[in-house]
Amino acid sequence: MKVLKWILLIGVVVAVVLGGMVIWTKVAPQGDDPVSPIAGIPHDMPDTMTRGEYLTRAADCFACHSPVEGKMLSGGRPFKLPFGTIYATNLTPDPETGIGNMSDEAFIAAVRDGIGSKGHEYPAMPYTKYSQLSTQDVLDIKAYLMSVEPVNKPTPESDLIFPFNQRWGMALWNAVFFENHRYEADEEKSDEWNRGAYLASALAHCGECHTPRNIGYATKSREYMAGTKVQGWKAFNTTSDGTYGIGDWSDEQLRSYLTTGHAPGRSSASGPMAEVVELSLQYMTDSDIDALMAYLRAVDPSLGGSETAVNTSPDSLKNATAVLPNSTSSQQRGKMLFEGDCAGCHQWDGQGRQTKYASLKGSSAANDSEALAVTQVILNGTSISIGERHEYMPGFGSIYSDSDVAALANYVVSHFGGKDGIVTAEDVAETRAQGE
Amino acid sequence: MIKLTINGQPQTFEGDAEMPLLWYLRDEKDMTGTKFGCGMALCGACTVHIDGRPARSCMTPMRSVDGASISTIEAAEEDRIGAAVQAAWIEEQAPQCGYCQSGQVMSAIALLKEKPSPTDEDIDAAMSGNICRCAAYPRIRQAIHRAAREIK
Repeated sequence: MKVLKWILLIGVVVAVVLGGMVIWTKVAPQGDDPVSPIAGIPHDMPDTMTRGEYLTRAADCFACHSPVEGKMLSGGRPFKLPFGTIYATNLTPDPETGIGNMSDEAFIAAVRDGIGSKGHEYPAMPYTKYSQLSTQDVLDIKAYLMSVEPVNKPTPESDLIFPFNQRWGMALWNAVFFENHRYEADEEKSDEWNRGAYLASALAHCGECHTPRNIGYATKSREYMAGTKVQGWKAFNTTSDGTYGIGDWSDEQLRSYLTTGHAPGRSSASGPMAEVVELSLQYMTDSDIDALMAYLRAVDPSLGGSETAVNTSPDSLKNATAVLPNSTSSQQRGKMLFEGDCAGCHQWDGQGRQTKYASLKGSSAANDSEALAVTQVILNGTSISIGERHEYMPGFGSIYSDSDVAALANYVVSHFGGKDGIVTAEDVAETRAQGE
Repeated sequence: MIKLTINGQPQTFEGDAEMPLLWYLRDEKDMTGTKFGCGMALCGACTVHIDGRPARSCMTPMRSVDGASISTIEAAEEDRIGAAVQAAWIEEQAPQCGYCQSGQVMSAIALLKEKPSPTDEDIDAAMSGNICRCAAYPRIRQAIHRAAREIK
């Protein structure tokens, strides 16, 4: 009981201190609305799109607010956090279950201030980034959402453990971690860089996945875009670091990755990043991709906590060809599985056979000792649609045991990345459970 | 318009660029030697060579073979190694039902072109993606060894 009393006491003290901070912190939004060409739509937006659709794409509302199966933007997608599960809301104009009856003010508050119809939102909704958006951009997004087909589908109640199920608690979190500030252009930088910053941060909120989080679940500003584990995947380091980030990627590779999800000689997007490219980035105009690249190139190199140095020509691939590995491996089980089920498309030299998306040589995923993405893709497969093209790999989760998935993932990392894979059957079981 | 070469013959294609190469070969060119197995690049029955590399034609869209040179089972006999593989296949009576065999033969040719004297391990590495429902694998392996001796 003594312990309980202490916890209670500490809880009260923390609440008082944080409460005080709420009072002393300006809760009102700060800064003026950013304007074109930093905010708004790019000059080269095609006529086939509306302002609202372009901005909704750029903000990638689709990825989270669409169910795994079902109508786009109708919500219900679960987000499994360490302290429970929350669900993305229905953004279609249905008056009962969607945003049909929401006033402009209420919508703006939900997007920028983190105050939804049920009270404080959880910061899985990136209002901490959307707070930078201009009022006009938020209203354009609302106009687009109001134009899609309404779907009557209630959003499931969130299922969180105490004290995280207390939404008012987020007011305290906001007091500490949330700066409600419109995007402020850096006058020393070019318009292009500033547009890139607005795109990457205010709209696309790249850092929400790519930046490691602190103990309070807020992103660590000093490790911006340094890469981290998220939702059972790895969001890789996208800083300008040459060894661990994208500093050594050519412009062509970076552009190709952002617009098609595949960088020749480097990575192919899978899982959540494939969704980002499919639902958002492929719709960005040339000028916006240029801006995004200019911005990414200027992100300070940082290592974060999940270093993956990509070896684009490991010894294990030196003599490999399309048909034969021409290297020895002690990992017989993994090699045998690769031989039977994988080599047909990926090829022993990692060049990819049916499609360039199947190339593994030089990919961050195949150079990650934890092989998180490789494990996910072996279990569940992956797909991406770019324009009219649909690329996919089937999953093998239903026919492979956990230890076989681990053996195969470790073999892939050793053969294509020249690294020692550290995946265990227990890791695979955990990843499998997360996906169910 | 997509331009490609099939067994040395120049061809043009103006249809749906997403159509798999296998459909083009079987339905438009009436070259039915290449078989449809799983349709997901998992069984190897539809293996052809694209610019010399073995590939699963059921999952290869036409757009990706623009400018490519395709070889199919129909032209295997015109090739020295292809002819040796086919002869060895008959000698060893490698096929049972035979459905997977054109794919097996195309993969075997690709292997021997690269490694004229493959070990059992090489054969496993190069041929495991070609599935044989009759499990004629021992005879397929023997046939590849026989063809290797012939082409020496």
